[in-house]
Amino acid sequence: MGETASILAEVFVDTIGYWWVIIPTIFLGLIVGGIPGFSAANTIIILMPLTLAMSLETGLVFMVTLYSAARMGAGIPAILVNIPGTAGAAATPLDGYPMAKAGRGQQALAMSFVASSIGGLLTTFLALMTMPILARVGFYMHSVEMIVVMLFGISLIASIAAQDMLKGLIAGFLGLMIGSIGTDVVYATPRGTFGFLELYDGVPLIPALVGLFAVSEAFIIIEKKVIISEDAEPKNPNWQDTFEGVRMALSRWWHIVWTSIIGLIIGVIPGAGASIASFVAYQQSRAFSKTPELYGTGHPEGLIAPESANNGVTSGTLVPLLVLGIPGGATAAIMLVVMQFHGVSFGPSLFENQPKIGYGMFMAMAVTYLLMLLTILPMSRYMSHVTTIPTIYLAPMIISFTLVGGFVPREYMFDMYLALGFGVLGYVARRTGYHVAAILIGVILGPLLETYFLRALKKSDGDITTLFSSTLGNILWVALALSLVLPPVFNWRRKRKELAER
Amino acid sequence: MARDDSRRPRQLGGELVIPVLAVIFTLYFFATIWNSPWTAQVSAFMVGGILLLTCTIFMVRCVLWLRQGSASLGFGNLFSRDDIVTGRIGLLVCTVGYCVLIDRLGFTLTTFLFLALSMIVLSKGQRPVFITAISAVMALGGWAVFIWAFDTRFPRGWFETTMKAVLANG
Repeated sequence: MGETASILAEVFVDTIGYWWVIIPTIFLGLIVGGIPGFSAANTIIILMPLTLAMSLETGLVFMVTLYSAARMGAGIPAILVNIPGTAGAAATPLDGYPMAKAGRGQQALAMSFVASSIGGLLTTFLALMTMPILARVGFYMHSVEMIVVMLFGISLIASIAAQDMLKGLIAGFLGLMIGSIGTDVVYATPRGTFGFLELYDGVPLIPALVGLFAVSEAFIIIEKKVIISEDAEPKNPNWQDTFEGVRMALSRWWHIVWTSIIGLIIGVIPGAGASIASFVAYQQSRAFSKTPELYGTGHPEGLIAPESANNGVTSGTLVPLLVLGIPGGATAAIMLVVMQFHGVSFGPSLFENQPKIGYGMFMAMAVTYLLMLLTILPMSRYMSHVTTIPTIYLAPMIISFTLVGGFVPREYMFDMYLALGFGVLGYVARRTGYHVAAILIGVILGPLLETYFLRALKKSDGDITTLFSSTLGNILWVALALSLVLPPVFNWRRKRKELAER
Repeated sequence: MARDDSRRPRQLGGELVIPVLAVIFTLYFFATIWNSPWTAQVSAFMVGGILLLTCTIFMVRCVLWLRQGSASLGFGNLFSRDDIVTGRIGLLVCTVGYCVLIDRLGFTLTTFLFLALSMIVLSKGQRPVFITAISAVMALGGWAVFIWAFDTRFPRGWFETTMKAVLANG
C-alpha cells in the first residue's frame, strides 16, 4: 500500500510536468467537444500519426486530456445555445439552457465546470482505489441487466412528459421507433429504411443530435434579437456570477458525488456510455429531488447531475481498458491501438511491470481536471457573452457549422439532408409542444435496448421470463420500480404534511 | 412576437402534425417487417403498438376538444406571418441551398455564400459590408482550422483544391 502510494505520488508529479501538453490539449478538447460531429475519438483518429510519433507517455497524456476536455466542452454549447456537443451532453440543456436564457449563463457554466471537474476528479481516485472490484462489474452485466439500465434512462421520458404525458410519450416512442430504423441485429433484415442504404446501419446519432437541437434551435431563436430573455437583467462580465456558480455547485457536493458515481459505474460497463449515464443520472436526480417540479426550468441540480455523470464515465472507461484490455467506447478503443503499438500489455501485470503507464493514465486525468478547473473557470465570464450575440448572426453560424459537423463522422452528404430533416421535425416539435429531448432519448437508447432485448431472448430461445432470471437483474428491476414509485409517494406525503401544517 | 394564446382557441392542426406523421411512419415500418423473422418484428411491434395507442388517445382527446369548441384545427402555432417577417422562410431556403451546393462548391465557398445571404435576409439588408466581412472571416477561419490544420474531411471544391495546390507549392 505504501509502495503504491509513493508510486502514485511520483506519477502525479511526473504528470504535472506534462503541463505543456495538457493545457493546449484542454483548449483543443473544449473546441472539438463543443462542435457536434467532432468528438474526441474523431480528433484522436485524425491526429493518430502524431500520437504514434510521440513517446508513449506523451501520447497517452494527450489522448486522456483530449478525452476529458472534450467531455467538458460538450456541455458549453449545450448550456449557452441549447446545442449539446455530443450525445453525452444531451441532458445538459434541459436545465442549463433555461439558466442561460434567464441571464444566468455564467453561473451555469461555472456550475457545470465545477461539477464536471469534481465529478471527474472524484471518480478518477475512486476508480484507482476500487479498480479490481470495478473491473468485475462488466462480467455481471449481461443483456438482462443492461435492459434495466437502459430502462432507467428511458424512464426519463416519463419525467419530461410530466407537463403533458400524452405528448411526452408520443415524442419518446416516436424516437424509439426512429431508433429502430435499420437492420435487425440477428438476421440483418432492413426495416423502415425508405430504401436508403445509408440507413441500413441505423439512424446516425450526430445528424439526429444536430437536427433536433441545433438546426431547430437556430430557426426558433431568430424570433428574438438575442438568446438571453428580454426580462433578464443585462450584465457585464463579472467575477461574482462565477463565484456564485462555484458556490451553488459546492453547496450541492453530495449531489455531485452520487451522480458522478452513477457515471463511473456505467462507464465501467463496455458498450454503455456517457449518454446513458447522463440520462440515468438526470432521471435519478429528479426522482429523488424535493423539488422535481423545478427540473427543466433551470434547476441547478438538473445541470449538475448530467455533467457530473458524464465526466464520471471518462474514468470508468479506463478501468476495463487497463485491467482487461476491453475498450468501453470509441476513444478507449483508439487508446488501446496506440498502447498496443507501443507494446503495452494489459491486465494486472500492467500495474506491476509498467506502473507509470497504468497509474499514469488516471493521474493524467486527475491533473487534467485540476488544470481544466483553473484555466476554464475564469473564462466562463466571457463565454457567457454568446447569449448576447444578435441571433441574426448566430443562427446562420450554428446552422452551417453544425450541419457540416453532421457530415463529418460518416462523410455522407445524405447525413446533412438527414440533419436538415431532423431539424424540421425538431422545429415542428418545439412549436407544437413536443419535447425534442424525449425524441432524442428514444433515438439514442432505442437501438441499444433492442439489441440487448433480442440477445436476451435469443439466448433463452424466446422465453420472456429470462428478463427476471438473474439476481442482479431482479435487484435492478426492484430499484427501477422503486425509483419510479417512491418519488410520487414521497411527494404526496410531503404535500399532505405541508397542508396539515397550515 | 408575443401571442395572446389565452384568448384564442387551442390550435390543434399544428399539434396533430407529429402524431399523424408518427402513425404514417409506424404503419410504413410495420409494412417493411410484415414478412420478416420475429427478431426484426418483436421490438418494433411493441414500440409501434404503444405509439399507435398513444396517438389514437391523443386524437380522441383532440376530437373531444373540437366538439366542445375549446380548440380549432388551425395551424397558427406552426405557421404564421411572422415566419416571413422574421426571415425564417428565407433562412430555410438558404439552408436547403447550403446542403445542395456544398457538395459542388466545397465547404469554404458555400459557407461564405450561406452566411452572407442568410444574414442579409435576417437583417433585412442592413449592414451588408459588415455581414460580408464576418461571413468571409468565419468561412476562412473554418477552412483554416478544420481543413488546413486538422485535415478534416469536409466537402471540398474549387477553393480547397486551389489552396491545397498553392500551399503545396509554397
